[in-house]
Amino acid sequence: MFTTLPERFKQFHLHVDVRTLLLLQKSIDRSLVRTIGDLYNVLRTFVVKSPELMGPYTRAFYDYFLSIDIRPGEALHDAVLRSETFQQWKEQHQGRLNEEDLTREDMASLFLDEVHMTHYDIQKIIDGRALWEKDRGDMADDDNDAEAGDQEKRPLDRMADYSDLSLEELMQRMKEVLEQQNSKHSGGSHWVGTGGISPYGHGGAAKDGLRVGGSGGGKMARKVMGDTNFFPVDLDAILNDNNIDAALASLKGIMEESAQEKLDVKQTIDKGLERGGLFLPEIKNETDEKLQVLLFIDNGGYSMHPYIKAVQTLFRKMKTRFAHDLETYYFHNTIYGQVFSDPQRRKRVPIERILSKNPHYHVFFVGDAAMAPYELSNQSLNTYVEMTRHFKKCAWLNPEPLKFWDHTLTIQIIKEIIPMESLTPAGIERAVLRMNKQRKTDY
Amino acid sequence: MATKNYWEGSERYLCDPELAQAFHISRTLGMPLLIEGEPGTGKTELPLQYAADQQLDLFVYPAGSKSNVEQFVAKFDHVKYLRDSQIEILNAQREEKGLNAQLSTAGRRTESLSDYVLKGPATQAFSAPHSVLLIDEIDKAPREFPNDLLYALSHRKLVMPESGEVVEVSENNMPAIVITSNREQELPTAFKGRCIYHYIQFPEADKMRDIIQKHHPKVSNQIVDTALDIFYQLRKIGLERSPTTRELLNWLKYIKTFSTKEAVTKLNALDGLGTLIKTQADFEKVQRQLSLSGGQPPMGSSMN
Repeated sequence: MFTTLPERFKQFHLHVDVRTLLLLQKSIDRSLVRTIGDLYNVLRTFVVKSPELMGPYTRAFYDYFLSIDIRPGEALHDAVLRSETFQQWKEQHQGRLNEEDLTREDMASLFLDEVHMTHYDIQKIIDGRALWEKDRGDMADDDNDAEAGDQEKRPLDRMADYSDLSLEELMQRMKEVLEQQNSKHSGGSHWVGTGGISPYGHGGAAKDGLRVGGSGGGKMARKVMGDTNFFPVDLDAILNDNNIDAALASLKGIMEESAQEKLDVKQTIDKGLERGGLFLPEIKNETDEKLQVLLFIDNGGYSMHPYIKAVQTLFRKMKTRFAHDLETYYFHNTIYGQVFSDPQRRKRVPIERILSKNPHYHVFFVGDAAMAPYELSNQSLNTYVEMTRHFKKCAWLNPEPLKFWDHTLTIQIIKEIIPMESLTPAGIERAVLRMNKQRKTDY
Repeated sequence: MATKNYWEGSERYLCDPELAQAFHISRTLGMPLLIEGEPGTGKTELPLQYAADQQLDLFVYPAGSKSNVEQFVAKFDHVKYLRDSQIEILNAQREEKGLNAQLSTAGRRTESLSDYVLKGPATQAFSAPHSVLLIDEIDKAPREFPNDLLYALSHRKLVMPESGEVVEVSENNMPAIVITSNREQELPTAFKGRCIYHYIQFPEADKMRDIIQKHHPKVSNQIVDTALDIFYQLRKIGLERSPTTRELLNWLKYIKTFSTKEAVTKLNALDGLGTLIKTQADFEKVQRQLSLSGGQPPMGSSMN
């Protein structure tokens, strides 16, 4: 079943594999999935592993299961109104919906309510309705008794008993769906096709004022579209205020602080001898290096100006969250024998002092590395070489669009010395990954 | 089965339907529930309240920078073991010399290694059917920690050190495992893959009102309105560390000691801002922004 799901979800940068499908199967077996709303919620807990995947997930889900394609930046409502699925649904409900009373937005809301109705919601309706029926007192009691056995097992059937036809249709529909899917459903990729969503509604329950419209997923799905918190920022866009958190997330990757308890053999023997042969294991804590960062920012010239703020915010955010060592230095165009500790470039720091720092520092250069070739003198190149020799973990982050790299001579040269990535969340991630790898080979 | 029922929260805890559903899914499938979200959104409360409400055994493992699987699963007490084996020798020597007084090992026998296994929260939870196991703030643990948990989580099986004893739990008796994280570091993909994931969204104003209602039922509406208004404004101006639910509740705890009228004045003067704002830079920003936009005098009272 859903054999095309992994591939289709991949187009939305979502990871779905065999395990996900097996889990989904298991959820269906344990009757967690009984409506499309359920499917949305269950699949979400398997697929969405960080908040910024909520947006793509919602898009992928609508696309795959409901054939509703949401264009980037489009509100869910508009996409729904545009879709054929919605048209079909509307036709099927011609009689039930009072089109005069409802605006198009209301209709879309109704549709979404139905899509995102979960079996928990339906259960609530049933419970509410059952209570209501009981209160009326004119309900035939023997009816209930006859079904008592079944009720326990199949709450959804019970619902069909009390609610009007459309809900019974839903049951039928879901049964079909289950059968289809048990029999290795072969027709096409869509599990619940366009017809699938239509038959169930708040039906009778709504008339009693007990309507519970997609309480969970529905609201979320509606909120998600157009909310940048739940939509991945463009990971390949140059660092800006929107994707700074994504960049931060990749920077976090270099944090590998850890402490492990290890048996201190020497201490155990020494202490054991002192105690006259009573050997007690002595444990020592081994703390790995903490994250130490040296940041060199090119703040001279207009070309770098737009990025400086974003870069500083990024590293400052990191600093406030982790309170690790972070030192920032500034330079203009390229580094000669010195850098500056203030943005105005007045306080000089000779490069020797930098080079005397602990080689475990992670070093980031941020600059466009674009200058007149004569500016990149031998002295400057030597400085870079010395720095990479001293600090094993170096990376150059370049805000210049990648396509210009090949046309700038100085970028070409510096790239040879210091590994260069573009100043984008994805680029930072690559740089960090390489730094981490380096560490493993170093020790 | 009692523990697989859908749980919607209790009188003291307002459980978002989405979270309740994710929790239900995780228990039905016997998988751990990984909850992420901003600090102070009630991640840790879920298992605590659930266990209290359903009267289930609760085991908590707070993760920290020194967490390791040993602490979590079980530890072999080498020190006790060595001590006892030395005592055995000592006792034998004493006997030889005709001394009667024997040193005690408190019933532990060095032959049975399992006497020296100190069981951690995971083992205890796995041995108690339908219990609740909370692993709090797993993002604070070293990166190896979640990776080391993978086997135990997916096979529901724990192997005791040295004694080799295996503690297993059937899928039906699986404890409800809840793991919380503040996203201070990304968790390994393989680990996330074995969990049911849920991200707690920051509650909106009307839901926040319900939450306040549960914690401070006696606070007047006027105070709550004013506080919420200021609170969401503060969250909007883009502070380095936005105030969270927990901080709002603390603020109200302080404010509610005053009479309504006094309290509203105090709220508007941002009295007790220290409960909400935690960094100097944010403090300055709040001052600047609010004195610009609202034309209010700088909050001298709160600075004292």
